[in-house]
Amino acid sequence: MFTELGSRIKFFFAGKKRLEVDEEIRFHLEREAEENMARGMTPEEARRRAAIAFGGKERAREECREQRPSWTLESLWRDLRYGLRGLGRNPMFTAVAVLTLALAIGANTTIFSLLDQALMQALPVKNPGELVVLSFAGSSSGHTESHGGNSEGHRHEFSYPMYKDLRDRNSVFSGLIGSAPASAGLTWNDRAEGVSVEMVSGNYFNVLGVQAAAGRLFVASDETAPGSNPVAVLNFDYWKSHLAEAPVTGKTILVNGTPFTILGVAAPGFHSMVWGQLPEIYVPLTMQKTIQPEWDYLNDHKSYWMDIVGRLKPNLSPSQAEAGINTLFTALRTEEFKLLNDQSASAKKAFITNGHLNLEAGARGFSPMRDSVQTPLTIIMGMVLLVILMAVVNVASLLLVRAATRAREFSVRYALGATSGQVLRQLLAEGTLLGLAGAAIGLALAPEALRLLIRWMSSTDNGDHAFSATLDWRVLVFTILATLVASLLFSLAPAAQFWNPKLAEALHQGRGGTGGSLRFRRTCVALQIGFSLLLIVAAGLFVRTISNLRNVNAGFPTDHLLAFNLNPALAGYSAAGVAPVEQRVLDAVAGLPGIRAVGATNDEDLADDGVSGDVLVAGYTPPPNDDYDVELPWVSDGYLQTLGIPLLAGRYFNAGDTATSTKVAIVNQSFANHFFGSAGAALGHHVSRPRRPQTDAMIIGVVQDVKHESVREPPHPTSYTLFAQAERTTGLIYYVRTWQDPDAAAKSIRAAITNLDSKLIMGNLTTMRDEIDMNLMAERTIALLATAFGILATVLAGIGLYGILAYSTAQRTREIGIRMALGARRATVVRLILWEVMVLAGGAILVTIPIAILATRAVRSQLFGVSIADPVVYGAGIAIICLVAGLAGFVPARRAATVDPARALRTD
Amino acid sequence: MPPPSDLLQGTLDMLILKSIALRAEHGWAISQRIQQISNDVLQIGQGSLYPALHRLEYKGWIRAQWGASENNRRARYYSLTAAGKKQLEAELENWQRLTGAVNLVLNSSF
Repeated sequence: MFTELGSRIKFFFAGKKRLEVDEEIRFHLEREAEENMARGMTPEEARRRAAIAFGGKERAREECREQRPSWTLESLWRDLRYGLRGLGRNPMFTAVAVLTLALAIGANTTIFSLLDQALMQALPVKNPGELVVLSFAGSSSGHTESHGGNSEGHRHEFSYPMYKDLRDRNSVFSGLIGSAPASAGLTWNDRAEGVSVEMVSGNYFNVLGVQAAAGRLFVASDETAPGSNPVAVLNFDYWKSHLAEAPVTGKTILVNGTPFTILGVAAPGFHSMVWGQLPEIYVPLTMQKTIQPEWDYLNDHKSYWMDIVGRLKPNLSPSQAEAGINTLFTALRTEEFKLLNDQSASAKKAFITNGHLNLEAGARGFSPMRDSVQTPLTIIMGMVLLVILMAVVNVASLLLVRAATRAREFSVRYALGATSGQVLRQLLAEGTLLGLAGAAIGLALAPEALRLLIRWMSSTDNGDHAFSATLDWRVLVFTILATLVASLLFSLAPAAQFWNPKLAEALHQGRGGTGGSLRFRRTCVALQIGFSLLLIVAAGLFVRTISNLRNVNAGFPTDHLLAFNLNPALAGYSAAGVAPVEQRVLDAVAGLPGIRAVGATNDEDLADDGVSGDVLVAGYTPPPNDDYDVELPWVSDGYLQTLGIPLLAGRYFNAGDTATSTKVAIVNQSFANHFFGSAGAALGHHVSRPRRPQTDAMIIGVVQDVKHESVREPPHPTSYTLFAQAERTTGLIYYVRTWQDPDAAAKSIRAAITNLDSKLIMGNLTTMRDEIDMNLMAERTIALLATAFGILATVLAGIGLYGILAYSTAQRTREIGIRMALGARRATVVRLILWEVMVLAGGAILVTIPIAILATRAVRSQLFGVSIADPVVYGAGIAIICLVAGLAGFVPARRAATVDPARALRTD
Repeated sequence: MPPPSDLLQGTLDMLILKSIALRAEHGWAISQRIQQISNDVLQIGQGSLYPALHRLEYKGWIRAQWGASENNRRARYYSLTAAGKKQLEAELENWQRLTGAVNLVLNSSF
């Protein structure tokens, strides 16, 4: 077997010379002739007989060649050469087909690459398949700092004591790591900036198997007593972009005013165990209080704030490990339960009995971001697949039209002895060549398209994005497979036509019957119209959605409004110093020219953020199991006026409400209606957080409901209190109402803050309108791409329709000539052809509309303020299709109508 | 494993291998020899002899060398390789078993 293989390989490359075969055959014939002469024939007769006995010389030679191991490849090469020649003869057709495929394949590659990165790629760590993400079911009491990504029974935030117990007492993990994201102020060479920090466990890099690019990374002993080990590791990208890869090991940076020693830099490509998180520096979890001065989490069982990921011991499945670790989890929860205030049986059931620890496959990393991009990406991928299908149908119909003009060529081939298999092979070769050319151009376009798209999605800041603009092997494999399947599909259309040994006979019967059956061509046209209508409808729905979302009334004017955030703690201010400096910032900005008003809140508006909790209203007994969460922003006294939230009863906060005066609250209408029945009835009542009597405040005013979390969400019940009267200090988001263009005010605000204290770090200075747009990124991306695909589909449909109509009209030249000879007018002829197109388009539209309504049901969750059967969208879509179909039909119809009847009758 | 060849092609291969089992021969001599030994029953279509020889050579069962013919002309001589010997044995055994089985059936008295 191996000798045979070896021999074949040897001959594959060496082959045998043609001359050798010729000489061998010549020898045979001469030898045979000699033998014949020996029997007494004349030399001439002897040679003749030898030749007869041997049979076809050329044939034998050919058959010898066909034995060659490389024969298959050679014939493939020949097919490809023929194919190239065939395509070269029709450059216009080839260009259109290749361009069609390139656009479709390029779009497909770009979107699939995003999908692949978000949903398929594993983290760049050692053996990512062993990683599991921990989440739990069961109640919690205390403070939760959620980073998103939770679902029913799957909460991803754990307390630090719980993490330590799980890490040290389990028997199923070879390592258990924890992390939590935060923002901090970083000062380096007297330059201050806001950075993303990941607080990580000491074993974080070891367990993930991430190497150091410089210096060293954390080890388990770096996770020390709280606050005692100020060390940091830099992210590679940050090191490269901000520090030009300068040697940093052993240097000191200020993080929130505290000096940290840099230990090293993590390996390139690694960001976080959470996909989509892009920390710039890493610090030990035990430095939490320095990073988030307003919170003290480390010793608190009731502070849920960190994500946990484990590496399973080898040969252990997640379900086995889950069973193993839940015994420990239940024991730990039982201990924790003793610390709780509420010791009732129902609380016990909710906390312990219903408690469960889930281990889920974590090769791709835990990721709240993934959840938010999954649906949009899937929708876009669906649209791309439609575009691909559309391109396939398009090229198939073009090939079909072209094939009609090649009927003679193929019948000559059959006549010369080509087999059906050979003809089929050649058609496939041509199709594959088209596909590959399209794929090559598409792949060349994809990285650039990807780069543009990513930059567009990360529109504001430094362009850091979880997505990268490189294509990995999976994308390449997918693209090539998609290309081959598509090529096969569209090549088969003309192949079905020509794979016909009786073609020659068919040809004798004249020109009818070639170019694909009428039904097949009509199906192609109908499919094209259908696909493009689907895409146009999708584009229309998303464009309407985005325009609805943009024009939604938030309850307050969003124009001439600037926002920025600033946290004095990040500049090293102590807890006592924060509130006074925040007041100074408010005063400084208010004093600038061109500023109408300024206010601040700790609960950013329209940014998908919320700070909520339950409240206790004096004199109100909630029904049992009433879970009424209320939005609880801490604001400055000018905040409500700055935003322009109308007052319904009582009064706004004013300068008389200070840190030392009576604590006051303003609630919104929903809040007042829920607890008191009307706005007026709320005044004078007291509201506080449960079990925190120091938070008690008197309601002094009621304001109108406004949108808070996002423009999509309805308003929440809200109770505003003053940040100056709050239990603790916090960073604030400032809103500035300007007279003129808000961008013009940005500069003077920046200068005023620097003037106040150059260490203060202003973050995210942007207009409210831009902020809203940023938070509509998913919707805007879908709308943009849907529109692009819709236009692409319409153009493709136009080209395809034109190709088919131009051909079929040319076929009917004789018929048209007869009609005109019989007295038909040009207008009648044009109408005749257009009528046919419109009937076809109408049929396709009628079939597509119910399909479109069904298909768009799947994307209903992404729509806003527009019905999936929106008449405007469908009307516009149908109008566009009819316009394109009409144009595509009109040109060939005109041409047909200008034909001279006498000449038309003489053709063929 | 070589793909199962149909009876005719497989038989021709076997006949060629057998006819050069003892000493190297050129194409013409192979066809002559098969024809003579079989008392003119087996006449190899000359056109199919050379493709078969090439096929066997590509498989590595026989090797070809240029040599001088009996009338002192350059001719291509084919001889068995080690793999070819093994193949011949296997085919002979297979052939015996097949013909034996066929004979059994034909000679039985139903």
